[in-house]
Amino acid sequence: MRVAIVPRMVELRVMVNPTGEVTWGPPSAISPWMYAPWRDAQRKGVIEMEVEGETLRALLTQVSDRYKQVNVDFDPIDPRTNDVDFDYDVLINGKNYEVVPYGLGVKLTDGDEVQIKMVWRWDG
Amino acid sequence: MLDRSELIRYNRQLAIPDFGEEGQEKLKSSHVIIAGMGGLGCASATYLTAAGVGRVTIVDFDSVELSDLNRQILYWEEDIGEKKVVVAQRKLSKLNPAVEIIPIFAKLTEENVFSIIDGARVVVDGLDNLATRLVVNSACVKHKIPYVYGGVSRLRGMLTTIIPGKTPCLACVYPKRSQRGGGLGILGVVPALIANLQALETIKLIIGHSPSLAGRLLLFNGEELGFRVYGINKNESCEVCSQASGLEKAQ
Repeated sequence: MRVAIVPRMVELRVMVNPTGEVTWGPPSAISPWMYAPWRDAQRKGVIEMEVEGETLRALLTQVSDRYKQVNVDFDPIDPRTNDVDFDYDVLINGKNYEVVPYGLGVKLTDGDEVQIKMVWRWDG
Repeated sequence: MLDRSELIRYNRQLAIPDFGEEGQEKLKSSHVIIAGMGGLGCASATYLTAAGVGRVTIVDFDSVELSDLNRQILYWEEDIGEKKVVVAQRKLSKLNPAVEIIPIFAKLTEENVFSIIDGARVVVDGLDNLATRLVVNSACVKHKIPYVYGGVSRLRGMLTTIIPGKTPCLACVYPKRSQRGGGLGILGVVPALIANLQALETIKLIIGHSPSLAGRLLLFNGEELGFRVYGINKNESCEVCSQASGLEKAQ
């Protein structure tokens, strides 16, 4: 599948097989690492990539791999639990992946929007 | 001017290059507010008091419970049921009698926050929820007081130093929304670690060294003993700290 990743304030928004070009304007992310060093992405505000497979797990794994290629430590899947890491919330079309049938194994379809949100810590 | 007793008490830190008596004098003449006296606040208050910050105001509205004792190291079994700020004031004063410890038994609100933080050199975060943090953040931005954010859950922690006018503030990141992150469990050593880094940032601010985490977010993961540091940017449309917001309010 083809995905367009739009870094927003504190999250990555991933459009699955978007129809037409995704142009969401200039970067507005709080965390610059979200753009990594990709000049084109920094200019357009959109990161585009191909993902092999159809599932949410494949998407998260390959997005993580892409960041690791440029030395950005981004692990939305915890290798110890093989589930979404405690530092992130993952939503599919606004619903937490945990309440979506098949969870990380859910097949993504054209037009789906996945949000990967960094969780800040509020306990003391 | 430090007296003989102070020269002995602080000998180890006076020996640090670029700290010395001048740094100690700056600490002695500073006033730090610790907002929240839970796991984070207990540890940061202890080390800031030991380091010789002149005045430390501690703010909390809770009493000591048995379930606090795994991480809130100023409180012991004999203190259960007592107000946290009263217990903390008593013990911190024994640790370093030269430091003025000011206990405030209150919940921080929009109504009282300005009067509580007024005159502080730094506000240190020891809170346990986003809503009160946003109240403190907003007041610190308006009063131009540095605010050292720290937060923890389970074996994870985060930290950033907010310098009004220079760095992003908490509202840049989470303006209003509530967010998952509280009540998930805490291992006591994690707030202790994060709070000690908050204390370090506070001391650096006071003595005039650049805080290492201004405009940077430190993430600690205790499962893998990993530290990551990400740069963070201001939200140019932040309702609290953006220039546009300030101009709008001025008009």
